[in-house]
Amino acid sequence: MKTFLKIALAAALVTSAGAKEIKLLNVSYDPTRELYVDYNAAFTKYWKAKTGDDVTVSQSHGGSGKQAQSVINGLEADVVTLALAYDIDAIATQARSLPADWQKRLPNNSTPYTSTIVFLVRKGNPKGIKDWDDIVKKGTSVVVPNPKTSGGARWAYLAAYAYALEKNNHDDAAARDFIKQLYKNVPVLDSGARGSTVTFAQRGIGDVLLAWENEAHLALKEFGADKFDIVTPSISILAEPPVSIVDKTAKRHGTTEVAKAYLQYLYSDEGQDIAGKNYYRPRSETAAAKYAGQFAAVKLVTIDAEFGGWTKAQKTHFADGGVFDQIFQPQN
Amino acid sequence: MKTYAKIIVGLLGAQLATTAFGASDLELEQLKKQLADLDQKVRILEREREIDQEGVAAAAKTAPKLSLGANGFVFASGDSNFVAQLHALAQFDSRSFFNDGGNNGNDGFLVRRARPIFTGTVFHDFDFNFTPDFGGSTVQIQDAYVNYRYQPELQVQVGKFKSPVGLELLQTDPATAFNERSIASDLVPNRDLGIDLHGDLAGGVASYAVGIFNGATDNSGTTTNAAFQDNKAVVARAFFQPWKNTDVNGLRGLGFGVGGSYAANHPNAAVTGLTAGYLTDGQQSFFKYSSGVNANGAQWRFSPQASYYYGPLGVLAEYVISDQKATSTATPNKVTELQNRAWEITGSWLLTGEDASYAAITPLHPFDPRNNQWGAWQLVARFGELDVDHNVFAAGLADATKYASGAQAWSLGLNWFLNKNIRANLSYSRTTFTGYTGTSPSATSAAAQPENVLFSRLQLVF
Repeated sequence: MKTFLKIALAAALVTSAGAKEIKLLNVSYDPTRELYVDYNAAFTKYWKAKTGDDVTVSQSHGGSGKQAQSVINGLEADVVTLALAYDIDAIATQARSLPADWQKRLPNNSTPYTSTIVFLVRKGNPKGIKDWDDIVKKGTSVVVPNPKTSGGARWAYLAAYAYALEKNNHDDAAARDFIKQLYKNVPVLDSGARGSTVTFAQRGIGDVLLAWENEAHLALKEFGADKFDIVTPSISILAEPPVSIVDKTAKRHGTTEVAKAYLQYLYSDEGQDIAGKNYYRPRSETAAAKYAGQFAAVKLVTIDAEFGGWTKAQKTHFADGGVFDQIFQPQN
Repeated sequence: MKTYAKIIVGLLGAQLATTAFGASDLELEQLKKQLADLDQKVRILEREREIDQEGVAAAAKTAPKLSLGANGFVFASGDSNFVAQLHALAQFDSRSFFNDGGNNGNDGFLVRRARPIFTGTVFHDFDFNFTPDFGGSTVQIQDAYVNYRYQPELQVQVGKFKSPVGLELLQTDPATAFNERSIASDLVPNRDLGIDLHGDLAGGVASYAVGIFNGATDNSGTTTNAAFQDNKAVVARAFFQPWKNTDVNGLRGLGFGVGGSYAANHPNAAVTGLTAGYLTDGQQSFFKYSSGVNANGAQWRFSPQASYYYGPLGVLAEYVISDQKATSTATPNKVTELQNRAWEITGSWLLTGEDASYAAITPLHPFDPRNNQWGAWQLVARFGELDVDHNVFAAGLADATKYASGAQAWSLGLNWFLNKNIRANLSYSRTTFTGYTGTSPSATSAAAQPENVLFSRLQLVF
């Protein structure tokens, strides 16, 4: 009978292994749709050539904070590729599905590409917007998503804050007033970056969109360079969107190996080239040099240097009762 | 909202046109600005409404879902990882015995089964079932188990549930062809307490179950861990449907397999014996062991089985051997090996175009006389036979003047599936008995003359 048991178990395992299709779920933030469509196709091809296995990668997109909450609530992500480290930290601490030091597992603090925040304005820049001062002027309508739910919005908020600090000799009260003035000019808060692009580009609302650099370029490509211009401010922030495997889920799905490879391949020549093609700033020198022409020079501050890291920035600015809650009042 | 915007723009445009001739450039510019501002406000309002609607749609995706339908009450979390379902099974029967000389069972109505059925899922992969039965003289827990689905091919179930041996017994209670299962099912275990590993391979082409159970006696289940079960029973079953996923219509519904159980060294404990008795279709005991007869040694069962469903035709057949070493407290050193055997075959034919199935039938046209719809109708027929090992009488383990050594039963019936939830049965069964060589049950025994029973049933299941 023991032999029979072993045979039955082995048959079940063999059959399940043979019939198993490798599926990955990448839970990402809003503007990476196009990047990961291209990247998934490349990785699938690479993995097939390397192992002979077929892998299908599904994508889920939304505001980075919302996406992190979904994973915490049980969305079965094998990997997360979110807008900022704090959101993955939240998964690590609340869902305990990955280790606290997850960021040390891949190069560059697990951020295979970077980006920044720029302005997308209507063609000809009718409001003459050149820098952050111009978007806090009365009568300028600014479109930006909600920093409570969107990673891009948090980067944009902090970029503006960094500018205000620098302009006011690091006077925090003055920076708060600046930010308050900015959000007085925001008529609609979308939950994610893609929603704000729709608000600005398709619904015709606002004079300027505070956008991810790649999202701004994509809008030009999508809606026509004759409709919008990109304006690069004097100061912006070095946005470092991180990636991580969700260890517990991947282990349960039996996808740990392929999930790791999926993220590691982002650092490959092909992965970096795809990032550059999609207007993300590649980490590799070769790809960075290749795509340097498409990015304007801008002074970039870092979250660590200017705000003491994400944990502190989150607590000070975006937590319930934080600076954003204090300064933002809906217009209607 | 768009209409509203057009009206505003139209009015302002008209105002602009009518005043343009007399207005200064400054006034014209102010009007243009007002128009642009209003246009923005309208756009913002429209967008806000759009965002609100998106928010409602997104919330609906994660909101818990409650549904009520033919499959019962279902309450599920937004992501379906948690599901609670309430089902029910109620069977209202009648039995009428004919020409029984006063020896057979009482005619009458009875609530055969009355079960609220609680099922569900927690954390996506863990299913549960809790089913009490209020239909008998005492309340019983029929099923109470948790099943972990690692994959369809590999699942683990723990608790009380049907021991995987008999094909007819494993068929769900609402789906059986007749009110009562055949006498072949007298020899297989019913619900038992234990753990099993089971699964469906290659999309159901093969299924298996291997488990360790307390070990139930024939035609019985267990609810407690009695001394009888000190040595656990290993139960296994494999079933194959090689053409299930092919285009070979004539063979797609063919399945065959084998089930069995083995329990070593039942002690000669002074506990209730081997079985409560073997029952006729009319649920009368035609065989019982004498008091003081106990299991004493290994027990095994072997049951080859097959089913075939093609269009309206359904056939289900199985053969069972139940082998048990037994002894009597009167002669404790005398161990007798008993090998009881039974078989049955059931045929069914749906008259109204539905496909026959091992599972429940769903009518193509649910009962609705106002629209000339009459549900599904099915003819059913069955023959079964059970032979008790003659050694049982020779060894003095049963009384030949009270009980028969064999029974043969045939049944005919008509089933009416009004809809997925309501079913009515009408059937007739006749059971004849064989006495031990040279003797026959006494005239007062239930097995003294054939049993003739007319059954009816109204069943509600959801």
